[in-house]
Amino acid sequence: MSIVVISILVLGLTGFLFGVLLALLSRKLKVEEDECVKKIIDILPGINCGACGFSGCSAFAEAVVKKRDMFSGCIPGGDSVNNKVKDILGLSSSAGAVRRVAVCRCGAREGEKKITNQYQGPLTCRAADITGAAIDCLYGCIGFGDCEKVCPVGAIKVKERKVYVDVNVCIGCGKCVKVCPRGLFELIAFDKNTPVYYVACSNKDKGIEVKNVCSYGCIGCGICAKVNDSPFVVRNNLSRVDREKTSSVNALETAAGKCPTKCIIKSNG
Amino acid sequence: MKELIIIFISTVLINNFVLSYFLGICPFLGVSGRIESAFGMGMAVTFVMTLATAISWLIYNLILVKFGLSFLEYVIFILVIASLVQIVEMFIKKFSPSLYQSLGIYLPLITTNCAILGITLFMTARNYNFIESVVFGASGGLGFSLVLLVMAGIREEMAYADIPNVFRGAPITLITAGLLALIFMGFSGLVSS
Repeated sequence: MSIVVISILVLGLTGFLFGVLLALLSRKLKVEEDECVKKIIDILPGINCGACGFSGCSAFAEAVVKKRDMFSGCIPGGDSVNNKVKDILGLSSSAGAVRRVAVCRCGAREGEKKITNQYQGPLTCRAADITGAAIDCLYGCIGFGDCEKVCPVGAIKVKERKVYVDVNVCIGCGKCVKVCPRGLFELIAFDKNTPVYYVACSNKDKGIEVKNVCSYGCIGCGICAKVNDSPFVVRNNLSRVDREKTSSVNALETAAGKCPTKCIIKSNG
Repeated sequence: MKELIIIFISTVLINNFVLSYFLGICPFLGVSGRIESAFGMGMAVTFVMTLATAISWLIYNLILVKFGLSFLEYVIFILVIASLVQIVEMFIKKFSPSLYQSLGIYLPLITTNCAILGITLFMTARNYNFIESVVFGASGGLGFSLVLLVMAGIREEMAYADIPNVFRGAPITLITAGLLALIFMGFSGLVSS
């Protein structure tokens, strides 16, 4: 019985003594942290996506306090966060960050894209891309969902081996752009009020070869480029939207309607 | 004096904590990327080890043995080590923020560094006296730092080497660690008892 009491006493006393020592030392060795940095860390989204170019939100907060002109560096946070950061830093100019979202330039579903080989290997796009056997099209989406796994906010869903990006959730961090072995993702400027059009195909082969592997892909016919005031350009047998060109929503809509394979996709909030 | 020298040499080279007992592998692989942070980590571990053996010896022999409570050694030693690590962390944060940044998560992880708990338990198992214990602790820390620095030096050079893709990163690091352990086996005949 007494040994129990003594062990409790000894352990308790030693713990208490070390606790007191630590408490005293922590008061003495306190490091003054910048109030500004703390406040900014609280405001930032805290998902450490790295889209700003720093290792995480706290690293960005420290950098922004030192170099004030990059207050709009937080891309996922958007205007609301950037304005608050600006307020804390005491700045008043009003240049906001453009919101960007990712789109996948392959919109073919399973069944539309031809699959002759039976791929048996690790079910990741990067592994499958090395073998080149997962799908017949050498440019298109493999559909094993590496992008779905890497997305920090869960905006990407892969169904029937086709990628769906929820533009309302997407924060434009660009992780999917880096992970996709076929480089299918593109970050485009996005505004809630105007729909965004893009060509959901990346195949640069001639139309007949595209038809051999996919019933959905762009055959480079150029009909979309012939529409009045069209922002579409056809290069390497593939149509693309020239983002430098401004054009009316009307022209975009007509072009999308005329596309024989319907691979010009509208995406809006 | 002769015993102390033998303890020193055998702990640093022959029974090196990392390469022959395989204790403390986690910081050995984690912080050996750059010589600067390896040196800081080595010094922090040496400091904690020396103080931990000294304080643990005092508590063990003056309190635990006296009351017949030597079964409490694990708990008490962990308590001592954890508190010391906290103190070291506060010191480093105050006086060298850059070192604090580069050590990162590995600094609080000294708490669970098995080499440090190992050294205090070896100390009681081998019945060292106070001075022997302190020398044992310090040389254990220095041995750890030595291996960490050697590894960091090799890894810094390895960054420029043309390593096959499959071996890059962890595999080549583990192979290097294995080769180092083989080399340290060569010291085993240095002191004949």
